[in-house]
Amino acid sequence: MSEWTRSRRRDAPSGQYDDRSSGPSRWSHCRKRGVDGSLRANREAEGDDRENGSYRHADNRHASFTTPESAGPVSRCGRQADWGSQVEDDEMRRDVHRDMQRYRRRILGAEVTQRERKTSSGSSGSCDSREGDNMETDEAVLLRRQKQINYGKNTLAYDRYIKEVPKHMRQPGVHPKTPNKFRKYSRRSWDQQIKLWKVKLHAWDPPTEDSQDKVLDNIEELGLDDVMDIELDFPTLSDSQDAPASVTAHSLSLEGEDCLGTPVKLQKTEDPESA
Amino acid sequence: MENSTEDYRIQSFDLDTQVLLKTALKDPGSVNLEKVSNIIVDQSLKDQVFSKEAGRICYTIVQAEAKQSNGNVFRRNLLNRLQQEFKGREETRGRSLQEWVCYVTFICNIFDYLKVNNMPMVALVHPVYDCLIRLAQPDALMNEEEVDCLVLQLHRIGEQLEKVNGQRMDELFFLLRDGFLLQEGLSSMARLLLLEILEFRAGGWMLSSTAHKYYYSEIAD
Repeated sequence: MSEWTRSRRRDAPSGQYDDRSSGPSRWSHCRKRGVDGSLRANREAEGDDRENGSYRHADNRHASFTTPESAGPVSRCGRQADWGSQVEDDEMRRDVHRDMQRYRRRILGAEVTQRERKTSSGSSGSCDSREGDNMETDEAVLLRRQKQINYGKNTLAYDRYIKEVPKHMRQPGVHPKTPNKFRKYSRRSWDQQIKLWKVKLHAWDPPTEDSQDKVLDNIEELGLDDVMDIELDFPTLSDSQDAPASVTAHSLSLEGEDCLGTPVKLQKTEDPESA
Repeated sequence: MENSTEDYRIQSFDLDTQVLLKTALKDPGSVNLEKVSNIIVDQSLKDQVFSKEAGRICYTIVQAEAKQSNGNVFRRNLLNRLQQEFKGREETRGRSLQEWVCYVTFICNIFDYLKVNNMPMVALVHPVYDCLIRLAQPDALMNEEEVDCLVLQLHRIGEQLEKVNGQRMDELFFLLRDGFLLQEGLSSMARLLLLEILEFRAGGWMLSSTAHKYYYSEIAD
C-alpha cells in the first residue's frame, strides 16, 4: 500500500527516493545507481543544484550514505510488499543459493587436497571439515550480506578497480577483497569488514575537479567518534586470523586490513548495532 | 538484431513515442524507463492487439537494461504499475470490460515472457490465478469476450501455471466444469470454448489430432 503511494510520489520531480540518492556527498557521488536502482547519471544535474546539507541526518551524515543494511525495518518491509521488490528478492535468493552450491563444491575440493597434504605430513585431520561446519547457511543472513556487497559493487570505484587491477594481480592486504559471505562472522565483525572493504574501494573513486574540496570535507566529517569506533571494533577482526591454514585460499586476508594505511579514506560510517 | 519496429507492434504510437521506445530497446540507460513502462502499460490497457504481444518488447527492454547497467528499473516500474492496476481490477471491470480483458491479457503475457533465471516470476503466480479465476465466475462466463480471453490465456500459459501451482489450477477447472455443465444461459460459443479448454488440459495441455480437427477444421460442406 504505502509503496504504491510512494511510487506515485516518485512521479513528481522531487520524489523522496530521488532526493536521497542524488545528493552531493562524496559517497553518493560515485554511486552508479540510487537506492531505487535508477541510474544516477540522469539526475546528476539535479543533484548538483541542491544545497549541501539539505538532506542530512540529524548527526550530520548525508542521507544517501545510508546503506540498505541499515535502511531500517520500515523501508525494508514496505518494499517487500511490491511486486518489483519481490521479484528482485527472488532473483537474489536464487543467486545466493547458486553461489552456496558453488562454494560447497570449492570447499570439498579444498578439503580433499588438504587431507592429502595432512596425511603425508602425518598430522591429524581433526579439523578437516572445519570450513564446511563454519559455513553460514542462514538465508536471511546471506541475503542481508549480499545486499551489502551489491551496494559496494554498485559504485564507479568498484568498476574502475576491477578494470585496473586484474584478478591475478590483486594482493591480499593491499587490494580490497570482497568479504566472504559464507563464513561465520558476528554481525559486528561482518559489518566492520564491509566497512573496511568499502573504505579501501574508495581509493579507486573517479577523480573529480573539486576533489580537493571533497578531501577537506571528509576531514571535517571525520570525528573522533569514528576513530574510536574503528579502534574498538578492530579486535573483533582477529577471530578470523586464527582460522586454520587449510582455508587460506578462501579466507579473507584480513591480516593486512589495517585501517592505519588509509587514514584519509576513513569515513563516517553507519553502525547499525548502535544506531 | 531482429528488433524491427513491426516485431514490437509499436506503429500505433505517435512518432515521438515510437522514437522513445526504439531508444529504450537499444540504449535503455538514456531514457526515462519509468515513463517507458507507463507508456507500455497504458497502451496495453487500451489496445488488445498490443496487450497480446507487449511482453516481447518488455522482455527486450529488461534484457537490454540488465546487459547495459545490470539494472532493473524498467522491470520494477512495470511490475509495480501492474500491481497498482491489479488492486483496482474490480473497478476496472465495472468501468470497462475491454480494459479489464486487456489487463488480464497483458499480465499473462508478462508472466509468459519475463522470467527470473528461467523460472516464472513467483510474485505473479497468484495474481494471474486471481485474474483467471475471476474470469471463470458465473457472471464473467456470460460474456464471450471474457471467456475468449480466459481460454486464450490458458492455452498460452496454462501449463506453466499448473507447474508452479497445480492446486489453484484444479480450483480453476472445477469452476470451468461447473460453468460448462451447470450454468444456464451460456452461449453455445462459450460452451464450445470451455469444452475445448477442458479437453486441452485433460490431454496434457495438448489437443489430440482428432480434437484439433473437431475444433479447428473447416466444416466440409
